[in-house]
Amino acid sequence: MAQETLTADVVIAGAGICGAMLAHKLARNGVSVILLDAGPYRDRDQIVENWRNMPPNNKSQYDYATPYPSVPWAPHTNYFPDNNYLIVKGPDASAYRQGIIKGVGGTTWHWAASSWRYLPNDFRLKSTYGVGRDYALSYDELEAYYYEAECEMGVKGPNGQEIVPSAPRKNPWPMDSMPYGPGDRLFTSIVKPLGYDNTPVPQARNSRPFDGRPQCCGNNNCMPICPIGAMYHGVYSAMKAERHGARIIPNAVVYSIETDAKNTIVAMNYYDPDKGSHRVVAKTFVIAANGIETPKLLLLAANDRNPNGIANSSDQVGRNMMDHPGIGMSFQSAEPVWAGGGSVQMSSITNFRDGPFRSEYAAIQIGYNNTAQNSRAGMKALSMGLVGRKLDEEIRRRTAHGVDIYANHEVLPNPENRLVLSKDHRDALGIPHPEVTYDVGEYVHKSAALSRQHLTRIAQAMGGTEIEMSSFFTPNNHITGGTIMGHDPNDSVVDSWLRTHDHPNLFLATGAAMAASGTVNSTLTMAALSLRAGDAILADLKHG
Amino acid sequence: MKKSVSTPRRLLRSFWLAAPLVLAGHATAHADPSAPALSRGHYLAIAADCAACHTNGHDGAKLAGGYPIASPLGVIYSTNITPSKTYGIGTYTLDQFSRAIRHGVRADGAQLYPAMPYGSYSRLTDEDVAALYDYLMHEVEPVDRPAPKTNLPFPFSIRASLWGWKLLSGVEGTPYVADPAHDAAWNRGKYLVDTLAHCGECHTPRNMLMAPSASAYLAGGDLGSWRAPNITSDATAGIGGWSAQDLQDYLRTGRSTHARAAGPMAEAVEHSFQYLTPADLAAMAAYLKTVPAIAEPGQTAANFSHGGKAAPFDYAAANARRNSSTLKGITQGNVLYENVCASCHQTDGRGSADGYYPSLVGNTTTGQRNPDDLVASILFGVDRTVDGHQILMPGFGPDSLVQPLDDQQVATLANYVLGHFGNAQAAVTAESVATIRAGGPKPAIAQLSEPRVLAVLAIAGLVILGVLALALRFVLKSRRAA
Repeated sequence: MAQETLTADVVIAGAGICGAMLAHKLARNGVSVILLDAGPYRDRDQIVENWRNMPPNNKSQYDYATPYPSVPWAPHTNYFPDNNYLIVKGPDASAYRQGIIKGVGGTTWHWAASSWRYLPNDFRLKSTYGVGRDYALSYDELEAYYYEAECEMGVKGPNGQEIVPSAPRKNPWPMDSMPYGPGDRLFTSIVKPLGYDNTPVPQARNSRPFDGRPQCCGNNNCMPICPIGAMYHGVYSAMKAERHGARIIPNAVVYSIETDAKNTIVAMNYYDPDKGSHRVVAKTFVIAANGIETPKLLLLAANDRNPNGIANSSDQVGRNMMDHPGIGMSFQSAEPVWAGGGSVQMSSITNFRDGPFRSEYAAIQIGYNNTAQNSRAGMKALSMGLVGRKLDEEIRRRTAHGVDIYANHEVLPNPENRLVLSKDHRDALGIPHPEVTYDVGEYVHKSAALSRQHLTRIAQAMGGTEIEMSSFFTPNNHITGGTIMGHDPNDSVVDSWLRTHDHPNLFLATGAAMAASGTVNSTLTMAALSLRAGDAILADLKHG
Repeated sequence: MKKSVSTPRRLLRSFWLAAPLVLAGHATAHADPSAPALSRGHYLAIAADCAACHTNGHDGAKLAGGYPIASPLGVIYSTNITPSKTYGIGTYTLDQFSRAIRHGVRADGAQLYPAMPYGSYSRLTDEDVAALYDYLMHEVEPVDRPAPKTNLPFPFSIRASLWGWKLLSGVEGTPYVADPAHDAAWNRGKYLVDTLAHCGECHTPRNMLMAPSASAYLAGGDLGSWRAPNITSDATAGIGGWSAQDLQDYLRTGRSTHARAAGPMAEAVEHSFQYLTPADLAAMAAYLKTVPAIAEPGQTAANFSHGGKAAPFDYAAANARRNSSTLKGITQGNVLYENVCASCHQTDGRGSADGYYPSLVGNTTTGQRNPDDLVASILFGVDRTVDGHQILMPGFGPDSLVQPLDDQQVATLANYVLGHFGNAQAAVTAESVATIRAGGPKPAIAQLSEPRVLAVLAIAGLVILGVLALALRFVLKSRRAA
């Protein structure tokens, strides 16, 4: 195969939300960009069909991976059944079974679109509460980029509503919140007397037509796929980057990174699906391959000058793996609740996002899962051996009364929670699978004891029967920490601009840079950090 | 959403068309009952939809011009019609103003391109011209900024040739005089339809000279990508089967039992019709119901009378393609329909119960013999704002963020919709989709500026045109003298 060397000002590995938004920003500013993704282009229509034709058992278990076929050259996780792509170990292995999608657009093809800002104290956990680590920047330094990301994505939020605690804003959300469905309304009114404030979640979902896309009509199908494009996916930014001249190359699996005598990055090399190798040369390089694939690639690309991996002189690459260990509870409520009106997540109890208790145990977010219960109800009713009218009635009853709630916990960065390259498992191109060892730690366990009490109180207030609570921690796909940021090159991988301490022209645009997990979805913060990195890259290119 | 207004984004497809298909400005009136009553001139300006062309998009200064009208001949920029003495019409006398809007002649004597629908406005009454003049001179803020100059390619750069065209085409009329055979409402309706709302500029097909064809009055015209339907009283091809209430609803909201407004019509509703008084809308409906019926050859069923039934879905085939990541190359229309359209319009094509998502069955867009509106709706979407509420169906053309479809996919999809929910006689090909995507077929006269054609035809053609025009002028003068 002929060797083709591609050239651009900036090459970005990873066309998910961070890479695509960064590519759009750079391309819009006249920078030539090559955007690589290991996976294929994906079309909404095929994903919709795959979802609709998926067996009901998969649907009832919230299988969001199967509609996105994994490709041999760029496998991603699927647990129905477990394809062993991500190997998890340690006492809380189950809590790191993350769902990720490879392909242009990345994992935001399926997400609940919750687009929170972190609280100012999330950025200074160590200085305020003496635990964990501080970010290398303050909330105030990120505020404008939060807004830039909200405008790019189209975030709706509770404008005009006082919510404590919440992140201070200079501008209103680009769109107003949508009204709750019946489930969120009832849940809010029942928990209020218990002292819980259940408030609207800011989300990257249209409450009015926005950016040529329609408004949400409550298909309640955000995961695994919004069938009408009312929800933001990273693919929109990739498409817009392309309109501004960026070149997108799908099915391009980056596997090596060349460095020169000064340890600046010279080139990246990627495999096509047939393992033909291609070289890409640029002035600036970005890895935006999510919190698992970014550290994996840095370790994989170790070379003579960087024997422990690229950007890894601190030995922090792949360490401090974080997420939000969750506890799920399901039950049948006394009153019909009718989950499923509106989007899959609309509201959240945020009273426990911050407070002095954080010096001792983890902050939490409690939420009501508004996913329609019909698939679960149907599978359960079938398992009861019912037929005919009795079956119909039972499905209807369980669909109306089924309730799913959860508590998610912040987790502290712990270097022992570590991603390494698997020694035993390799993909079709011969690239090792990632392997993560995970222990959520005492900070979480202490908090979880209280969370279980919160959830139980709520279930009782709703007259719950058939109460089931997960005995283990569940993953939330908010993958953070693996290329942690900090001021000190000895104990962190990137600075506040997401520039690696080791390589002046290498940026890591990923949630892996986040130094504290907070309690809420990490997406908006990692998008804002990536846009901020864009300003550093633009300044570099301008000043040579 | 920020719409780009820096590049011409709407094609003025049929040569001398204008306002109704290039509406981008905000209408200036509001339905808010607490707002002060509009002056007569202001109301007339809304009914005539001046801002559609003379305000450059949502960010443009009111009536300050600069809106790029992409005609097949090149970009025509609308002019500044604020009372700026330097760059607007601040120095115009009432007489000069009247000549401009009724006869297409500027104060300095130069001819206006007929992107300005002066053919329709020539029928304005003296009182209404005066009221419009008062409004523009006294209620509109002067904007001291020039609108960009229009530079059409030769031969269209020669504005003087337009007086010949005007004579030949016969677009100009005389101020409206009420017809005593009809009541006041009918007369008001006819005046609104023919003059202020200038419906015929789009709904009447054009003749060889690109002037509205009198013999096909309101019988439906092509607007580049879109089709302006037959709105004569023909019960099959036109609006003869619509009730007066249907027509009024449609004009005020863009939504009726039989149709939804999209494309240029959605803009006319958004910027003009929704602000008209119920009495005026009723008058327009009453008049339209009396427009002589013109049938569509071969059409036997009314546009909105087709039944509908979905095709059976092949689940085994769907399971067999589970490992694909795209539906490119799919030849079954119902597969595309199911995965691209049915989430809103439903598998049976009947939309949502409340009509928010319209039924494709019994819908003029899918029921016309001419499928252009359906194809244009799929490619460009539907976008209209009425009563402050935006209705948006995304486009599915190559720039769609939601789901880009190629020409063959659009054709496959359109044929499925036509065959199962609409007019099965209509057919779409990938080539016809490409033409509509590119703005519709170019009228012959527009090809004059292409170098090769120009070299052969232009000079000879202009000479002939000039001679003809002179001859006509001579004849007319002789008649007047006689």
